Parts: sequence; C-alpha cells; structure tokens
Amino acid sequence: MDVRSQISMVFHLDKCIGCHTCSVACKNIWTDRKGAEYMWWNNVETKPGTGYPGKWEDQEIYKGGWKKDGDKIYLKGAGRPKSLTNIFHNPHLPKIDDYYEPFTYKYLDLIESPAGDDQPTARPISMITGEPMDIKMGPNWDDDLSGSPDYARNDPNLTKLSPAEQEAMFQLERMAFFYLPRICNHCLNPACVAACPSQAIYKRGEDGVVLINQNVCRAWRMCVTACPYKKTYYNWNTGKSEKCILCYPRIESGHAPACMHSCVGRIRYLGVLLYDADQIESVASSDEESLVDQQMNMILDPFDPEVIAAAKANGVADSTIDAAQYSPTYKFVKTWGLALPLHPEFRTLPMLFYVPPLLPVMASVRDVSNEAQQEKLNPIAKQWPDNWLYDTSTEEIFGTIDQARFPLEYMANLFSAGDTSKVKERIMKLMAVRIYRRHKTVGDISEEKSNEALSTAGLTPELADAIYYLTSLPKFDDRFVIPAAHREQAIEMMEFTGDVKGNTGFGFKDKSAERGS
Amino acid sequence: MHKLAEGFSVSATVLFVGSIMVAGVLLHPDVAQAKTGEEIFQSGCNACHTIGGGRLVGPDLLGVSERRTEEWLVKFVQHSQAMVEAGDPVAVGLFEEHNKVTMPDQALTKAEVLAVMEYAKTPHVIGAAQPDEPVALTEEDIVLGQDLFEGSVRLSNGGPACNSCHDVTNDAVIGGGILAKELTSVFSRLGGPGVRAILGSPPFPVMQEAYKDEPLTELEVKALVGFLEQADSEQSLHQPRDYGIGLFTSGVVGSGILLAFYSLLWRRRKRSSVNQSIYDRQVKST
Repeated sequence: MDVRSQISMVFHLDKCIGCHTCSVACKNIWTDRKGAEYMWWNNVETKPGTGYPGKWEDQEIYKGGWKKDGDKIYLKGAGRPKSLTNIFHNPHLPKIDDYYEPFTYKYLDLIESPAGDDQPTARPISMITGEPMDIKMGPNWDDDLSGSPDYARNDPNLTKLSPAEQEAMFQLERMAFFYLPRICNHCLNPACVAACPSQAIYKRGEDGVVLINQNVCRAWRMCVTACPYKKTYYNWNTGKSEKCILCYPRIESGHAPACMHSCVGRIRYLGVLLYDADQIESVASSDEESLVDQQMNMILDPFDPEVIAAAKANGVADSTIDAAQYSPTYKFVKTWGLALPLHPEFRTLPMLFYVPPLLPVMASVRDVSNEAQQEKLNPIAKQWPDNWLYDTSTEEIFGTIDQARFPLEYMANLFSAGDTSKVKERIMKLMAVRIYRRHKTVGDISEEKSNEALSTAGLTPELADAIYYLTSLPKFDDRFVIPAAHREQAIEMMEFTGDVKGNTGFGFKDKSAERGS
Repeated sequence: MHKLAEGFSVSATVLFVGSIMVAGVLLHPDVAQAKTGEEIFQSGCNACHTIGGGRLVGPDLLGVSERRTEEWLVKFVQHSQAMVEAGDPVAVGLFEEHNKVTMPDQALTKAEVLAVMEYAKTPHVIGAAQPDEPVALTEEDIVLGQDLFEGSVRLSNGGPACNSCHDVTNDAVIGGGILAKELTSVFSRLGGPGVRAILGSPPFPVMQEAYKDEPLTELEVKALVGFLEQADSEQSLHQPRDYGIGLFTSGVVGSGILLAFYSLLWRRRKRSSVNQSIYDRQVKST
C-alpha cells in the first residue's frame, strides 16, 4: 500500500447558479496576460451544450484521454509513435476557432467621442488582430441555450441516447438545463503528464496538484491533445503550455483557490483524500463498468489505523492526515456516496467530483381533498387554503426520478460512464434528504414516509442531517479543509538546514547593532 | 523636466561613444607601430612575386621603383583591376602578359607600398625559394587532396574546406562554392609554384582572413596542389552530369507525391473548426 495525499474537489451542481464569478476570479488572477487571452482555466458550461472548446467531450475529434486495448491502456492521441508521426502538424489540436477569438471593447470611445446625434458605442476589438471584429463565439456562448440546435443538440453526451429520448429532452415544456463548472481535475492518472515529450508536467508529491514546469516545457502541445477535458492551454506569447495550478500559492498559505473562495453559490468544497497509489494502473485499466467503483475503492479510509500507519511511513504529515479525516470531499465522495467523477471513461481518474443535479424537481399539480391538509402534521406545518397540491414526491416517493426531465442516461454519460444505476443511487439520496427536510420544515410529509425514503436510499436521519448541514449551512472552514503546506519539509529536501544553524535568528551581539548588518 | 533628462542622456551617450572611438584610434596597434617592408612582403606579396628570384605568378619586383613611378605603383597595388578596366596601357600590358591573372587589391597604405618598394631595391632570394621541379606525388596524396578540397577530411588546423568558396569541374566533387574563382584550370594558369605559394600565404583578402589563424600544413598544400594538377590535366575526361530541367521536375513531382501521401495519412484530420457551421450562418457586419 503506497498511501499518498491528494487535494480533491467536490462541486455541488444543485447549488450552481451559473454566475461565472469563479471564471472571472480565475481570469483576473491568472490569465489576464498576453498570450493567455483565450484561456479560461475555470469555465462554466451549460448542459446540454457543446462547451468550451466546442465539443471537447468528443474524443473522436480531439483524441484525448486513454483508451483500453486488451489489459493495458494507451494514450488515444499522443505517446511516442503518434507524437513522432504528427511532429510537424498535430491534426487533433483544437484551433483558436474551436475555443473562440478573444475580444475586448473599445471603451475609450464611450468617453472620448465628440458630441453627436448618436450615442457612442464601444465596438468589439479582436485581441488577436487589434481590428474591429464580429464576435462569433465566447467561452460561455451557449449559456442557458438549452434545446438550441447549435449547442444543446450537438452535445456529445446525447449520442448514446435514442432519437426519441433526445426529442423528449427538447420538447418545449420539458426543456431544462444545468450548469457544469470545470477546472483541471488534477487527475491521479493524468494523460497530460504521460503525453509530455519533455517531461515538463508533474504531479506534486505532497498534494497531487498537476503543474507544468515553464522552464522545461518545449511547446510540443501534446498535453493539449492528451487532456480529454481540454484543460491545458498553449500560450502563444511565451511558447509554453499552461493550466490550472489550483492556486497553489493560495493553498500553501491556507487560502482557498480563487474560484472556490469567490463562489457565490458556495458549491465548491476542497479537502484531502488519501489514496493507494499502487492501484493507479490497475484501476485505470479496469473494465468500463467497474471504473467508478474501483476509483472509489482506491480512496482510503483516513480513520483506518493501517492506512494512517502506511501514510506516516510514506511521509504524509500528521496535519495532512487530520485534514483528510475532516475532509468535506471524503464525506461527499466516500462516506455519503453522493459525488461522481466527470467522464470516468476517459480513464484519467479525475479528482474533481460532482454531486449530480437533482433539479429540476419534477412535480405535478393535482386536486386534493383539503381535509388532509387541514390536519397539521407538525407544529410548524403550513396550511394550504386551496384545493390543489404542487406534488413533488409524496405519492410515489421516487417515481419522478425515472421520468426526470434529463433522462438518467444523459446524466450517466456525464458522470458514470453510462451506468444509470450509479446516478440514480445518488439522486435518490439527494431526493431522500429533500423529503426528510420537507418533513422537518414544511411538515406536509409524515415522519413515516420520510423515514421510508431515507431507508430506501440507504440513509439515516443522522446522515441526512449531516448532508443537509454540509450542503446548506457550511461555514468557510467546513467547505475548505486545507492542510498546512509544510514548506519546511520541502526546504529540507533541497538543502541541509543545519548549514545555517547558529548563523541566523537570535544570538549575542558582538558590536553595536547597525541596520543591515 | 522630461525633455531635459532626455537631452542629458543623449549627450551622455554621444560623449561615451565618442571617447571609445578616440581611445580606439589612439590604441590601434597598426597606427602605433608600422610594419617594415620585409614583413609586408613576407605576409602577402611573396605568394606571387619574388625580389631577384625571377617571375612567379606575377613579375619579379627587383628594382621596380626604377621602372614605374611611385604614384603609379601605389595606385596599381591598391586598385589594379580598376586600372586595367580604365585602359591604362602599362596595366593592360601586364595583365595580358601574365595569363590574365588578376592581382588582388591589397589593403596597404601608401607608406606601406613605398616601404615594400624600398625593400625591393636589393635582391632577397628567400622569397623566391620555391623549387620549380615537380614534387613526387602518390595516388594517396591526390585522394587526400580531393577529400580536403571537399571537406570530407578536415584541415588539420581547422581552416574551412576549399569547396566552401571554390568549385572545380570534377566527377568526384559535387557542388562547390561560387564565392571565389572556379579552380579547374588554375594549375595551367598559375603553375605549380604559384598555386603552392598562394596556398602557403594567401594574397587574397578574404582567403587571408579565413586562414589567418588556421594555415594549411606542408602536407595539405602538397596534396591539394596534386589534386588541382590532376583536375586540370584530366578536365576533359570529367563531365559531371547536368540534370537540367529533370532535377527541377523530379523535385516538383516528388513533393506532389509526398503531399498526396500526407493527405492520405491525415485524411481524417479536423479540417475546420467544430463551430464552423455556426460561424457560417452568423450575420456579419460587413
């Protein structure tokens, strides 16, 4: 057992309001530079939709990720022979038009234009040519465009759905969408690291953050092809590739990454997971049906004395183990089994997990007898004076899940390599907590029914309370449990600190003190 | 304030550059100490001329200052070919007499030319100690000369190979340079001693500079002279093939085949943006 620590993330999609504050925070800090104009290390997509860059999930176009051949896995579009044959022209690289042509506006015209009959306007200016341009695309151009023929209907995740199911999704009254915020997944089996001919990309030992060494990068751009999430970007100005660094300077000083700190919906959680690095290869090359389960299995219980001992033997700091025990991501991913990785079939073992969206909750409006309403079920229950009921789930507890506006197959294509049972299991849990809370606060659902819902989903009232707390009421320190960076250990690896012992710090004064001496 | 600072920085720069230039002039070794006539003669002229040793490539210079005027001599040493072209009768006569071998323009000052003339008033036979009898050459020497010419064997002092600048019509040598003279018949033009002398201490400014610190060795000179002699005598036997338009055509056809191969190899490449159909339908402002 080779126990290592990994900073992992959970995004709770039910809470995402699609405001793009995360993207703006990231842009302002990291990619508001020459050469990085088109880069969005963090972006928010509308699903169903084609995303950024267009159709990034379609690996027949971009050849990202791993493919299984026999018992082993190979990079789909990179690796030595493919890199060599494509050395002068890599046909699978996304073009700038697959992202979008970056633009700004000529704002000065608004205040410097001479007086005239018309209001001055700020024309869009291309950040590539500097000339006025027609904006053709943006990083979130498909925002909220569910059902549109250009975006939603071209979603690569729809290909596995039958035409009838697809049509049902896009009927006007059934149309729905949700947001999918994306950053680098800081995978356990990163294709970008494997593809780099210069070995410039590495996974940090202490916390698993995947980084590109800007001094070693030689602009082969194989990482851009290899990353199935298209989360490495080529900077035309520096001639190096770049990617999300999980704001490691902030993490090292105990701050949450900028996208998470600024998140308005507070959908983002960050914490340590302990995992068994010996299993990476076998898990990544396991059968598609067992990929998700295997990935969950390689995440170890931080309370297990054996795991703790192995972690300590491997140099994992005590504070990191403490952080792993209090990790919100461990709770979401393992304890509660609520979160799933995005596209596990790419076999990179992503360490960013998503709680699938429950919304929109299906409901029906029915005529009911008022008498049932009049009998208060709970002291705080609300009384309804009319004779209809906006019924979400009372009659047949989980009946609405199968008829959800998003076919389960669609969610399964995104989060569980096509296995609908895994998505259903998680949505049932979310639904059960909702029913439980409705019993608690609204009071129109009996305790018996709520308990039935919980036990069907495999939860207890205590667990439901804990889930409710971490979903709806968490404090800053509950959402982000960041272990100490232990810079001193990193420094000790590079140099012998005994060399400076007795030379710095407090000591005896030989002569009168002078500034700078 | 800004203007003032700018003006100050400009004048400071001028002062700095100016003082460097003055220092350069003051410290230049050539100005500090002039070369003697003997040194100048040994460092270039002796490749083609003797003083009292008879004709080599160019005429014997013994007592040349009595034959020509001072002014004419300085002018000829500095710009001989210009004088030939201008039709100076003496210059044209000399040019015709010496197999139309151009005397290279020498970067010598008037004082230096006069110093050489002063030196040439008395015979100094050391400069003409080139034996005229044929040197015994082996087949290996000629092959070595060919390799040296081509550069497939490096010159031992590290000088550039001959074919960087020169060409010779020979089946064994492909694609020499065109910067300097074509050397196929150099042997009959200059004769063995002339070629040997030029290789030993090159009189031509570019060649002089190229071999200044990397002179040819005795053995290399011998081998190269042997090769050039053979190239000259056998030039009628050597007719490197001229591919003419065929070379160009095969290049065009070859690249066509390569392009076809690559477009077949990459036939499934992404030809346009994934968003192209959207872009095509968009309304454009112009």
